[in-house]
Amino acid sequence: MNLSEFPLKFLLGGLLSTPAVACVSVRWKSVRPLATILPISALLAGAVAALQALTHGTRSAVDISWLAPLPFALSLDRLSAYFLLLICTVASPVAVFAASYLKRHYDDLRQCWILALLPLFLLSMVIVVAADTVFAFLFGWELMTLLSAALVAVDGWDGERRRAIFTYLLMMHAGAGAVFGAFFMLLPHSAGLDFASLRAAAPLLTGGVRGALFLLAFVGFGTKAGIVPLHVWLPKAHPIAPTPVSALMSGVMLKTAVYGFIRFTFDFLPARPAWWGYLVLAAGAISALLGVLFAIAEHDLKRLLAYHSVENIGIIYLGLGAAMIFDSQGAPMWAAVALSAALLHSLNHALFKSLLFLGAGAITDATHTQDMEELGGLLKRMRVTGIVFLVACCSIVGLPLFNGFVSEWLTFRSFVAGGELHSVLAAIVLPLAAGVLALVGGLAAACFAKVYGVAFLGRPRSAEADRAHEVPRLMQAGMGLLAAACLLIGIVPGIVLRLIDGVVQQVIPGAPAPSGFSGGLAQLLPWIAVFVIAISVGWFLVPRSTRVTSTWACGLPALDSRMQYTATSFSKPLRQVFSWAYKPDRTVTILPPEQPCFPASIAYRSVRTTSFERSLYQPALDGILTAAKRLRRMQTGNVQVYLLYLFLALVAALLYMRFA
Amino acid sequence: MTLGIDVIQVLLLIVIAPLLRGMIGRVKARIQNRRGASVFRPYADLWKLFRKEDLVPLTASFLFRLCPIVLFAATLAAAAFVPVLHASSLLGNTGDFILLVYMLALARFFLVLGAMDGGSSFGGMGASREALVSTLAEAPLLLAMIAIAIVSHSASIASMVHWTAVRDPFQLSPVHAFALVALAMVTIAETGRVPVDNPVTHLELTMIHEAMVLEYSGPSLALIEWANSIKLTLMFTLLIGLFAPWGIAASLSFFGLGIAVATFALKIAILIVALAALESGVAKLRMYLVPQYLGIACAISVLAVVFTVFAR
Repeated sequence: MNLSEFPLKFLLGGLLSTPAVACVSVRWKSVRPLATILPISALLAGAVAALQALTHGTRSAVDISWLAPLPFALSLDRLSAYFLLLICTVASPVAVFAASYLKRHYDDLRQCWILALLPLFLLSMVIVVAADTVFAFLFGWELMTLLSAALVAVDGWDGERRRAIFTYLLMMHAGAGAVFGAFFMLLPHSAGLDFASLRAAAPLLTGGVRGALFLLAFVGFGTKAGIVPLHVWLPKAHPIAPTPVSALMSGVMLKTAVYGFIRFTFDFLPARPAWWGYLVLAAGAISALLGVLFAIAEHDLKRLLAYHSVENIGIIYLGLGAAMIFDSQGAPMWAAVALSAALLHSLNHALFKSLLFLGAGAITDATHTQDMEELGGLLKRMRVTGIVFLVACCSIVGLPLFNGFVSEWLTFRSFVAGGELHSVLAAIVLPLAAGVLALVGGLAAACFAKVYGVAFLGRPRSAEADRAHEVPRLMQAGMGLLAAACLLIGIVPGIVLRLIDGVVQQVIPGAPAPSGFSGGLAQLLPWIAVFVIAISVGWFLVPRSTRVTSTWACGLPALDSRMQYTATSFSKPLRQVFSWAYKPDRTVTILPPEQPCFPASIAYRSVRTTSFERSLYQPALDGILTAAKRLRRMQTGNVQVYLLYLFLALVAALLYMRFA
Repeated sequence: MTLGIDVIQVLLLIVIAPLLRGMIGRVKARIQNRRGASVFRPYADLWKLFRKEDLVPLTASFLFRLCPIVLFAATLAAAAFVPVLHASSLLGNTGDFILLVYMLALARFFLVLGAMDGGSSFGGMGASREALVSTLAEAPLLLAMIAIAIVSHSASIASMVHWTAVRDPFQLSPVHAFALVALAMVTIAETGRVPVDNPVTHLELTMIHEAMVLEYSGPSLALIEWANSIKLTLMFTLLIGLFAPWGIAASLSFFGLGIAVATFALKIAILIVALAALESGVAKLRMYLVPQYLGIACAISVLAVVFTVFAR
């Protein structure tokens, strides 16, 4: 047996055998820890396999076509390996977290269900990114949808949840339809079912077919990635899943769509026209802006995070769009930089978004609520969770010394470089896209200042939040690992940027290594980190005379928690400025109504009324139903009429055969 | 030698920052027909605050004390980006304007968090308004600098300054004019001056920055105030460096540096008088006019970017 292929095989074997262990552990509880240890060790082996492929370019491959009806092979080139590394590095801390979280929140049977389904879900994502044949890819793609839906359903199956899961499945299959369509359109031109023959077939296609292929891939993978307006399933499905599953869905599963999109458009369809790039760029800009605007108006923590996934996918698509534009303008160096930005942001988002979801799970664990208006003062009560959550907030906002900054910086710099392209359109559009990114960054900062300030700082807004205490060690460890990774990439980005070089050079042949471009930043960041941390820690440790007093209350006896700013009031000015995105429906209820000046209670409610479901999906659905009703007139139930239809169809077919 | 001058530059910015505040106050007083306090009063204020004790609200966590320090450290790091006396700086040779802007964002994020830790409505009010202003200021700030970066074919601050310094004023394109207006408007918003925010008011309905720091006292407050004046000085120096760097030392001779110090002092003085005159002559904007103000800045910065196409 070839030793270099062992890690990949161990990964597949480990993930595949865990469900059996989980089933056994229903009866024999002592086996239960094995159901956690086995997938984690498999994931570590997967990370080793990915690093092997990334650093040495060795292609380890597994071919199990003898087991399957159609060719089924997995192989790791650099692009696959990068996304495999992403899956493994993010999933293993999540698994550590899950080990303790599941025990606290689920009864025995459901625990085993999740422990059995989770490794299979991971396996399906591994198959998607490592697939080397069409069958393997589509098999993994479909399996991924079904298993994630099953994991969401483990939590419950009542009315509202069933509706959300149904929306999820429906949207996913519409998207999968487009993905299948794209592959099936390509297959007749190809000699075989493996990716290499697809790659060989693509240059022979005509421009129209290529455009259609691109649009199908854009819609299909875009649905899974959650670009606006195909995102409607995302804020419904992600928040209701069990916490480790939401972390994996938002952090990792969305990235398989990014992988699929890069594989299909960059790898299979070279020589892309410029309008593809502009379309992707526009989709990215709209997703980023609307994603963050919708997030600001939310105060359910998990739904807010789900909208931020839309935003971050938008940022990734901004990088991909810029890469396509640069490539079509003959600037491979900048295409490489923009693509490396998108790849790095995929990894960064996977790290901090899963950390944020785990943090939200820890908050729910401690306070039994996800409503931010019920939280407050958690940093004093949950110090470790508070610190790692702060790291995640700073990362997603893109502050320097945290990982989100590095990828946003790369995106910014590629946009600035776009200003020097020959094409006037590109030279105006790309720098202005940087303006959109800046606005999105500012809005994200405001949103996470709100999240952290309201949930972790100040005084508790409910008795539950007041009683909150720290989560168990294993949960802390899972979050701590992810936070450490965020800081590591934020301060020493060179380690990952060098890995990305090989990936970019494989996808854009002939491009210079993009890490050369970011070398200056990579040198500077550790120094700034040392400087800021030294001053902060040094000054913080200097003994000072401090006195603890009560907060200034304008001379009133005391403040209570209801006098604090809430999440709603914090975001009010921004919601007012961007009211076009919300068109809010506000109601103020004063009780009792006959005493408006001395009310017993005032309730304020503001609901966003804009929704793509109402303005886009509902009309489309109505149109389909109306058309179906019209068509029903053909169904008279009269046999003679059906015979007439048959006759007409036959005549039409004969005429077609004669003249076509 | 270069390193020495670079360090001196940073120290100069840090040390003269309170003086700038004092001078603005003094000039404002004169315009309003008052005597005004000594220009050195901000130093005395800092000295007084540093010797006092820190009052920490009961509900606050350790972040309450940490935030002013991170704010100060990040602002110091940002100050190391801008060239003052010669077209080079400690971090501005390899570091670009994006890193500079985001160092300031790091500082502000922690200031906002510190404000929310006090647990009163003032802190939240100030934080929420600061979030509004800074969110809307981010796009014009970056777009204006992007326009200059495109024209000068570089993104590092030192070479952007150098590019302008070796040209004569009439060679500059409209890009610079648009970018100057946008950046000046953003500077006023970012540093919390009239007409966006009033640094001397303590009225709940209007204050932004003052509401955020209401709970702070003693050394923490001193750090915040000092960082705030460093930020103002750094934005002024950035404006000078990007749009009127002439006089900046080309070589490190005593004569060159002397001229650089003199011209820098003159340009700062002009900016101080301009700001004081503006603050005395203009009323503070209503809160919900600030987005329109920043929208205008944003439109002008978009024009700057569009005109880069004609400037090549």
